[in-house]
Amino acid sequence: MSRIWMPLDNAALIFPAIRRRNWNNVFRESVTLREEVDPVLLQRAVEELMPRFPSFYLRLKQGVFWYYLEEVASPPRVQEDYAYPLTFMTKREMGRCCLRVFYFRNRIAVEFFHVLSDGGGAMIYLKTLTARYLSLRYGVEIPAEEGVLDIREAPDPQELEDSFQKHAADHAAYCPEAPAYRLPGKRELGAFLRLVTGVIDAESLRAAAHAYGCTVTVLLAAVMGSCILEMQDEQLPPKRQKQVKITIPVDLRRLFHSRTLRNFSLTVNPGVDPRLGTYTLRELCAMFTHQLAAEITPQRMAGRIAENVEPQRNWLLKRVPVCLKTPVMRAVYNRRGERLGCINISNLGVQKLPAAMAPYVQRMEFIIGVQYSYPNNCSVVTAKGVTTINMIRSTESAELERRFFSRLVELGIPVTIETNR
Amino acid sequence: MYCVRCGVRLQEGVTACPLCGTPVWCPEAGERGPAATYSDRYPVLSRQKRLTVMASLTVGLLSVMVACCSIAVNTNGGMGWSFYVIVGVAAFYFAFLLPLWFRRPHPMIFVPVAFVSVCLLLWLLCRRVGGRWFWTFAFPLTAIVAALTIGAVALYRYVKKGTIFITGGLLMAVGGGCMLAELFQHLTFHTPMFAWSPYAATVFFLFGGFLILAGIIRPLREHLERRFFI
Repeated sequence: MSRIWMPLDNAALIFPAIRRRNWNNVFRESVTLREEVDPVLLQRAVEELMPRFPSFYLRLKQGVFWYYLEEVASPPRVQEDYAYPLTFMTKREMGRCCLRVFYFRNRIAVEFFHVLSDGGGAMIYLKTLTARYLSLRYGVEIPAEEGVLDIREAPDPQELEDSFQKHAADHAAYCPEAPAYRLPGKRELGAFLRLVTGVIDAESLRAAAHAYGCTVTVLLAAVMGSCILEMQDEQLPPKRQKQVKITIPVDLRRLFHSRTLRNFSLTVNPGVDPRLGTYTLRELCAMFTHQLAAEITPQRMAGRIAENVEPQRNWLLKRVPVCLKTPVMRAVYNRRGERLGCINISNLGVQKLPAAMAPYVQRMEFIIGVQYSYPNNCSVVTAKGVTTINMIRSTESAELERRFFSRLVELGIPVTIETNR
Repeated sequence: MYCVRCGVRLQEGVTACPLCGTPVWCPEAGERGPAATYSDRYPVLSRQKRLTVMASLTVGLLSVMVACCSIAVNTNGGMGWSFYVIVGVAAFYFAFLLPLWFRRPHPMIFVPVAFVSVCLLLWLLCRRVGGRWFWTFAFPLTAIVAALTIGAVALYRYVKKGTIFITGGLLMAVGGGCMLAELFQHLTFHTPMFAWSPYAATVFFLFGGFLILAGIIRPLREHLERRFFI
């Protein structure tokens, strides 16, 4: 029997090339329920979702010219969670399945290698998995709404498409950017990742953002920017300072009305130059708002998609063996990919749940891993009136986290802190 | 419970603020720690796997050397051909496998070690076959390659800027190295002078010069970056 296979989407092409012996691009989404998770029923739910989500139950294979994804023979086994999130996904694990499902007490967590999907697509999988698990566990009928898909339906071809190819403009929008300040830090021994979770009432955060005339994402980026500006100011003389830029992933599904479950996001890097003067939080909010508004337009994004898609369509590059393309892609990523921002702030926004499912759910979480050269990263999701801000780091010092959450408290936003150690 | 320094609310049962380390004093909390949010399960570290593979490889190569030695002694009554196998395997081990024992092998240590082992291998081979080519050809050639490699590693590792100038300069140095290599070839084996090296050197000089030029002329560099971005 021949297995389903699919080429990597445009955004996913880079991830197999840039993975290292001890690092790769994996992210996690989790849901905390009211009662303890039953692993047997969770395994059944994972198996039942396989026909509905063919683009998730895939393993990474290497072809002669490109990497590709191939259907797995059997769904992944659910496992008890590790002592820290986003443990290194080995090459062998990716060769079995690029998706991992964990449980720990009340929590169901799913970790995805980024070749499969981005945060938006993964959230649909997690919600559907949770809905199916709750149906098996409590016998509740959860309707296919608010991001939950009907598992009895066949997958829609639009869900499996590479939307980058469809929405690329005719001309590339090339715009070189200056490198950003690199956060310092002494690396942890081993691969342990420290996680600090800030739990915040979503309404108070929204009210604070409105008081500054911006969105929640912009407020968080501005607060983070002001903390990094302070840290850079303490560490470097003004002449040697670099731009402070925050990398914000943008979900393109809403912008282009796409239904794809595969990767369809781009990042923008709003920022400020500290050599030009000092900035108040209100000024940072205003600057970031305007920079994002100028960047996140369908025309501009289509141009940037075209810039990424152009080399993929190049006749000659298509015929270069993957073993030769990989080191070049890695070198280009090292020069351009990670140098343009100080930290990621990835906000999945407000996640609504079907009314029948909501009583069983306590909260949702979203965690992105650290980059190879960034020691810190930040991810945000709001569900059931609670915003969880996960700050992960591979370094020992929690200085950035301390400044960031203290600043939120100073703004009148109560924060509860949890850690994994 | 709140941290008096950061102002954040803390989980019940913690003894210190996880952000600033300020101790928390809360008599009502008792001895009970905070509820664990993650399990105690740790993944198997890749280091253990690497050490196992390296130990197996070392034992395997040692067995090959011992086997060759015993076969040669039993059949020829002397080292014979096994000499070449043993020194070859030893040089290969020190040059390529030794760094793999370490998680982050430092190139400034292991690159010179690799060249010293290659040099020793060539010296032993030269002595064995009674040749006169080591000091006038093999050694200077290895030294040139070693100097270029170590220079490249050091420059790329420690000089954060000017990669394009470093690459251009190194390519030109390789061109010069080609000329020297042919000079040593001529002195040792009496081959005609400048038979091949001028062609190789010209290519390296031109390419290196072009890179330096691209480094100086910013529009050209940006154009190349744009055209060659994948």
